[in-house]
Amino acid sequence: MKERILKEENAVLRHSAIERAEHWLIAVSGLVLLFSGFGEFPMYKRYMVTHIPGLSWAGDFWINLKIHYLAAIVFTGAAVFHVVYHSLLGHRGLLPRKGDGKASLKTVLSFIGIGEEPPADKYLPEQRLAYAYIAAVSFILILTGLIKITKNLPFVYLPPALITGATLTHTLATFLFLFGVIAHLAALALKVNWPLIKPMFTGRVDLDYVRHRHSIWYDELIKDLPPEREPEKEEKTEPPAEHPEEGKGEPRGDQTPGEPRPVDEQPAETDKSEDKPATPQDS
Amino acid sequence: MAEAKWTRRNFLKKAGVVTVLGTAGVLDISGNAWARAGTYATLIDLTKCDGCRDLAMPKCVEACRVLNEKRFPVPKKPIQDLWPQKTHDDWSERKDFINALTPYNWTTVHRVQVDGEEIFIPRRCMHCDNPPCADLCPFGALNKFSDGAVVINDSLCLGGAKCKAVCPWQIPQRQSGVGIYLKLQPIPAGGGVMYKCDFCHDLIRAGKIPACVEACEKRLGNKKPLYFGTRDEILRMARSRAKEIGGYIYGDRENGGTATLYVSRIPFDQINDKLSEKKAAPHMGKARSLIQDVNAWAAGFLLSPLAMALGALGLVMRERKRKEDDTERKEDGK
Repeated sequence: MKERILKEENAVLRHSAIERAEHWLIAVSGLVLLFSGFGEFPMYKRYMVTHIPGLSWAGDFWINLKIHYLAAIVFTGAAVFHVVYHSLLGHRGLLPRKGDGKASLKTVLSFIGIGEEPPADKYLPEQRLAYAYIAAVSFILILTGLIKITKNLPFVYLPPALITGATLTHTLATFLFLFGVIAHLAALALKVNWPLIKPMFTGRVDLDYVRHRHSIWYDELIKDLPPEREPEKEEKTEPPAEHPEEGKGEPRGDQTPGEPRPVDEQPAETDKSEDKPATPQDS
Repeated sequence: MAEAKWTRRNFLKKAGVVTVLGTAGVLDISGNAWARAGTYATLIDLTKCDGCRDLAMPKCVEACRVLNEKRFPVPKKPIQDLWPQKTHDDWSERKDFINALTPYNWTTVHRVQVDGEEIFIPRRCMHCDNPPCADLCPFGALNKFSDGAVVINDSLCLGGAKCKAVCPWQIPQRQSGVGIYLKLQPIPAGGGVMYKCDFCHDLIRAGKIPACVEACEKRLGNKKPLYFGTRDEILRMARSRAKEIGGYIYGDRENGGTATLYVSRIPFDQINDKLSEKKAAPHMGKARSLIQDVNAWAAGFLLSPLAMALGALGLVMRERKRKEDDTERKEDGK
């Protein structure tokens, strides 16, 4: 799938079905991992979580461990898929860029009325930083988790220092992961971010929102609109499901934001068949 | 182009072979419960132990207490309850109690009568081959060492008592008011430090034998019921003794195998019945390895990433093919 403007819907195709599936697999398994992981601390019984109707099982370390394994299998699989798929396709849109720290600060300050939010690409600078953060923490959790799984096997003997190190790191990284999840959810509480919620379900984001907040991305999308074509040719050829050019999310940090232009003023004519909510071919 | 050689079918075939071999490896080897066993083990022959009945305190219990006294907890009083619970564990006023495992008593001797026969059973940590206490401690405060010892790091232990909950025999015992959890206060986390037999890990490392075995030997010489040796020796000894007396072994299979073996003429379930009548812990009943249930899932960590990587590759190839087709179509159209 290539992100593109869906003129008739006044929307932009932001996330493919594959990307949404990745996000939700990671999100759901991540939350299950957090709950079952905290269940590996001797706390649900002590703090009477087990008294909550339906959660009497939560004090059982073995049940939690099985749930943790199952969710970790999903989480690790999704993470591997994510890395293989996007690195091979050259997707770099979520990777942090130079100046993201400063731009993030400006963005956050703009939320409390100080200064203006800098124009953004497909992802906001703080989204790129948050992605790097959660990816690094997840990597640490997966790596130390795999060591912990290995040491549980009856035929494996690992040095005590490695086990203690991996276990403590896994436990501490759990708190970093929890912090990341809380920050992610807290960002959703901000009204300015609300338009970004829908595309996590439908893939489509409001075009006007993109034009105003993601002007760098918007300019790229405008540029990518298909060139004028001869009508006869178009009738013969089946409309391509996506654009032949590069994968989505190429780095465009070096670009200066242009003045947003309404789609209607564009010289290029959008192929109507392309406007259709393309069933993402990836699903 | 190298990429061209990576047809999907080719890749699937190769990856399939790797997956099957990897999984088979995990499943096959995981059946061998002895492979993780430590170097040493002990044998306790219940046909020979007289519980030091003529002494105020059994020699093994005494030796353990003398050796470890300097490591016993010195709690900071008053000890706070473990909020929101209205309790805490305090054995500091009952240090002399020797009829159970406590933070101040890491070996105890039970006494039961079965069919008119008096049996004395020295009890302490079994030192499992694959100890759930060490496997599941969220702080890595318990370790299994290559000599076979399962040791609690009392400077890292927060006293959550999870090790006790997952131990098939509930061996570790908590003393509140001591340990690093006090540094976390007022955050209500942790609850003290867990204590148990450490197989005299330091003595073994110094080439010596555990204090209990040594004390028993000093008193009874060749008639001693406690033996220490390499686990092969001890296992051989246990089997041959069991054969000799037509008896039973406890500890070789329990919880997947332990470094503490018992031999008895009387079946262990009968002994266990008497122990439960007396409400004496630890029990001598069945102890299934629950970590093995979880280990059955471990193969998923090979299969899932492999399958997902394959899936991703397949989708990437499809995407590239589509792009190529589009480019061709575009070029044809020119």
